[in-house]
Amino acid sequence: AESAPSDEVKALTTPGNAFEVGLGGVSDDSFKFGEYNGLEDQGAFLIGSLALHGGGRYNSDDATRWTLTATNLGLSTRKVAAEYGRQGVFRVTLGYDELRRNRSDSYTTPYLGAGSDVLTLPSSWLVPVVPRLNANANARGLSAAVSTSSALVNGVLTAPTPAQLTTANALLAADLPLFAQHDLYTTRSRVEAGISYLAPRQWEIAVNANRMDKTGAKPMGSVTRITGADISSILADPIDQTTDQFTVTLAKRTRQDFLQLSYYGSKFTNHIDSLTWTNWANPASSMTMSSAPSNQAHTLSLNAGHDFTRSTRVVLTGAYGRNTQNAVFLTDTGTPLVPTTSLDGLVVTQTYNLKLTSRPTNRLNLGLAYKFDERDNRTAVHTFAFYDANEPAGTTAINSAFSAALGLPASRLASNANVNASRPYSRRMNQATADATLRLSPGQSLRGAYEWQSLDRWCEGSWIACADADNTKENTWSLEWRANLLATLQTRLSLSRSERDVGHYNEDAFLALVPMANVAPSSAIGGVSAYAYMLANALNGYGPTAGLVSTTGNQNLYFPLNNALANTAYANQNRISELAGLRRYNMADRTRDRIKAVAEWQPTEVLALHANADYRKDDFTQSRYGLIDSRSWSANFEGSVSATEDLSVTLFYTFENQRARSAGNTYTANSTATAVNGFTAIPGGCFPTIALRNASNKIDPCLDWSTSTRDRTSTYGFTADRKNLAGGKLALGLELLLSRTASDNDVTGGNYVNNPLAVTGAPAGTLAAYYLAAAPLPTVKTQRWDAMVNARYALTPASTLRFDYRYAWLRASDYAYEGMQFGGLAGVLPTSETAPHYSLHVASLSYQYRF
Amino acid sequence: QQPTGADRSLAGDAACTRCHDESETRPILSMYKTRHGVKADARTPGCQSCHGASDAHIRNVGGTASKRTLPDVTFGVRGKSDPQQQSGTCLGCHEGSNRALWLGSQHESRDIPCAGCHTVHAAVDPVLTKLSQPDVCYGCHKTQRAQTHLISTHPLAAAKMACADCHNPHGSATDHLLSKASVNDTCFTCHAEKRGPFLWEHAPVADDCTNCHTPHGSTAAPLLKARVPWLCQECHSGDHANAVNSGANLQDGVVTTAGGLNPLANSGARAQLAARACLNCHVLVHGSNHPAGAKFQR
Repeated sequence: AESAPSDEVKALTTPGNAFEVGLGGVSDDSFKFGEYNGLEDQGAFLIGSLALHGGGRYNSDDATRWTLTATNLGLSTRKVAAEYGRQGVFRVTLGYDELRRNRSDSYTTPYLGAGSDVLTLPSSWLVPVVPRLNANANARGLSAAVSTSSALVNGVLTAPTPAQLTTANALLAADLPLFAQHDLYTTRSRVEAGISYLAPRQWEIAVNANRMDKTGAKPMGSVTRITGADISSILADPIDQTTDQFTVTLAKRTRQDFLQLSYYGSKFTNHIDSLTWTNWANPASSMTMSSAPSNQAHTLSLNAGHDFTRSTRVVLTGAYGRNTQNAVFLTDTGTPLVPTTSLDGLVVTQTYNLKLTSRPTNRLNLGLAYKFDERDNRTAVHTFAFYDANEPAGTTAINSAFSAALGLPASRLASNANVNASRPYSRRMNQATADATLRLSPGQSLRGAYEWQSLDRWCEGSWIACADADNTKENTWSLEWRANLLATLQTRLSLSRSERDVGHYNEDAFLALVPMANVAPSSAIGGVSAYAYMLANALNGYGPTAGLVSTTGNQNLYFPLNNALANTAYANQNRISELAGLRRYNMADRTRDRIKAVAEWQPTEVLALHANADYRKDDFTQSRYGLIDSRSWSANFEGSVSATEDLSVTLFYTFENQRARSAGNTYTANSTATAVNGFTAIPGGCFPTIALRNASNKIDPCLDWSTSTRDRTSTYGFTADRKNLAGGKLALGLELLLSRTASDNDVTGGNYVNNPLAVTGAPAGTLAAYYLAAAPLPTVKTQRWDAMVNARYALTPASTLRFDYRYAWLRASDYAYEGMQFGGLAGVLPTSETAPHYSLHVASLSYQYRF
Repeated sequence: QQPTGADRSLAGDAACTRCHDESETRPILSMYKTRHGVKADARTPGCQSCHGASDAHIRNVGGTASKRTLPDVTFGVRGKSDPQQQSGTCLGCHEGSNRALWLGSQHESRDIPCAGCHTVHAAVDPVLTKLSQPDVCYGCHKTQRAQTHLISTHPLAAAKMACADCHNPHGSATDHLLSKASVNDTCFTCHAEKRGPFLWEHAPVADDCTNCHTPHGSTAAPLLKARVPWLCQECHSGDHANAVNSGANLQDGVVTTAGGLNPLANSGARAQLAARACLNCHVLVHGSNHPAGAKFQR
């Protein structure tokens, strides 16, 4: 093939040039179908791609080569890349890549300025209410079905008065036209450049840089308590970010050694500092939320290896990184105590890995490895005071002892202020691994491995340990048997078990957030702080697991009526202690088992069959609440037939079943209340009267609940390819895909709800409350079809006509969207977003020419 | 380094190409389109550099007309040369760099040779382009293939991402063959806005992104391991996070019709269950840098 090459040989051996031009069309708009592929809009789109190659031929003395490629030029997924170099000496690369990610095409909002960092309501906006109920802001009033219908008022179903109807219709007429639809999407464009140089003595230097700009908007929740109630809006969160990344690598390799030193830098710049929006429940007020802070990360890494012999090697990898962030803090009336203007945050990461591998004989592989991985957050701990979501400061001052401890005047903080300390989380992992693979016979081997891992977690500077588990230890054993039982049958069976042990699960870790728990309130007898009281009485934040008792003194101050630690005892507005027995699953005692089996059978050159099954089980052995266990199994079956070199068919099926169980308890405060508006009876539940229930609110077994979630996914696929039709000019391809998922959630337990008829003056015998049993959630379903056909017809040896057709269909049901509709939630402004669905056709015809 | 005695010249190749010519249905000569085929680069191999001198094959010693004696080294998965010998041939030149941890890695220890994924004779190796790389990986990782068809995924099907953007199939010191030193470092290469450090960190985020996310595909967007609010309630049981959330708390759930007497105007779904659930209010769950953001609301 070297001398006097034919055109055919030239075509086979010389990098060629090609371009493709064409036109395609999409039958319908669909953000979901076009989520990442640029085909979200109905109508025509251009097809354009290019591939140019140049430089010396394979058999020339010139090692220069260059390429220019461009794809998807007519779409928002376009990509261009260029490369020039002299092989064996240097290479220069340039690239541009674009991606649009669609978020929502059904989002509506009355806010003006969507996409900007200031969102305001039109002057004609009227605060929605349900006039029949009261004058409180209520987003459900934006639904005529709600605001003009009868309501239960003082136990009586009452129709709206004419005045109330006038009010309801007036706000509907004023507000509904203000809701406008906005397409929410983000666009990512990436420019990159690189150069590599192969220096003498086998040194290689490479420099790469890229810039990624991300712009657009995505839906984001928000909340304010400025009017007292929690008022939420789903806002269009503006995105305008730039990430610059640099890599410099210096490498050298000899026959026995290699060394690689590299620097990686990443600079994230957020061009939007905050998002300000007007409160739909009180347009005279507005709030500001922070955006992701600009930050930097710089990492130096080393990668070195030495071959002692051809079969024994030691490899050392190490990385030292510094991640900093110092964006200026936002402040407003909701932040009365801000001790510093910015974080001056620093996280130092260190990762070192030493691995020794050896093959003393052709039948035995041995490996030993040690890994150290640390994220050391060296950011200083600061204590801040703030009011929840811009809640107005209360009229009474916070406990004077807390003000004094913070060095503040007594009137500086109101009693509803949160005094919280930051928690800079750090972790350190030490891990050792040993493995051995023994080849029992040709085609049969046994592999065993053992891994020991110790993980430490802490917050430097916290007044008390912040980690639920300051140390976990995990041991993992695995065994794998591989065998070619027949010349045509390959099998593999692997088993593994991990046991994670938490020496001490610290249920007091939450106190790291609330330093006032270590300060005795002025009313504390003997100057005993909440933490000191808990220690002395062997209690955690949940308090006694007991019913109602009358309490006095410090017990009444910290755990009144045997309830959980009082928020006022540590200057926080929420009960942040967890249920006794809750274990956070990423730090909980765990036993993990996994079994995997694989079989591949190729009885003939024509037929290949594959089957595998994978079973995983996590048991959180000490967890009474939180995630209790999770199990999943999956199975794959695939068969492919290559009837001839021109015809191949593949059929596959995948089933996956994932289950998880978690548990909780809806406990409330023990109380001395004995009736609801004079009524006492409760049907169902564990206690027949209000008095008995309230005396046991904290230990009511009927308030235990559990969920059992199950995701079932079935995926079917079929592909067929036929080449060399029509005298070798035509090639056809067919691909069918069906994906079906069903997500179920069975919930046990229940809760109490007061009887809306239990009002003053109701008939004797009226029930005070009901015990309402939990009900399963509606099944969330997704079904997706894809059918693709492609044909390529060779007009000449250099030109091809290409036709592609795709039918795509998706239906999804998800109850979460109910809450986004008008009339859905009282405190959340509706967006009318809907579950994605589409049924569309995409066809394209293009001409490809090679030269 | 060239194997001792290997003739990498075109003359040496001719011993092979005089038979394996343009009439081959499998790509042979197209090797000359690739970097391996640039003879002006003294590092590039010839046929015998990788396949061995293969005298027995050339002279068909012990073979038949229909079944020729194989070359010294044949590449592929089934019925080919020993995987260690195959990979050793490639590593003779491609040792080090991101292949430093190949020996003893998941793929190496399962006897998957380089040619199990790479098609070196092809003008464009499918595993080296974003469009076709996932299909090569799905050849074994079939459950991940199915997961990429779920409602929430990364842009693999659109060829804007490929498996090697996160994984190093040649061996890694990080679990799951991740290419960076940790899960989070891998995610931060594209999601640097979640890197912080934040004033208010969310412990599981700083710990490991996969505490909440599953990367290949999920039935719960965005790539969540479980639906909100239950994902949150797996760790949070204080205050309003302790409540049971069930079908009874939906718009048409029984909680809204206690005793059958609570009409539409009085009813409403539980905000922690519907719409964005916990994220209706606790928005900045990856961390907040606002002095009032300890509860991820600012």
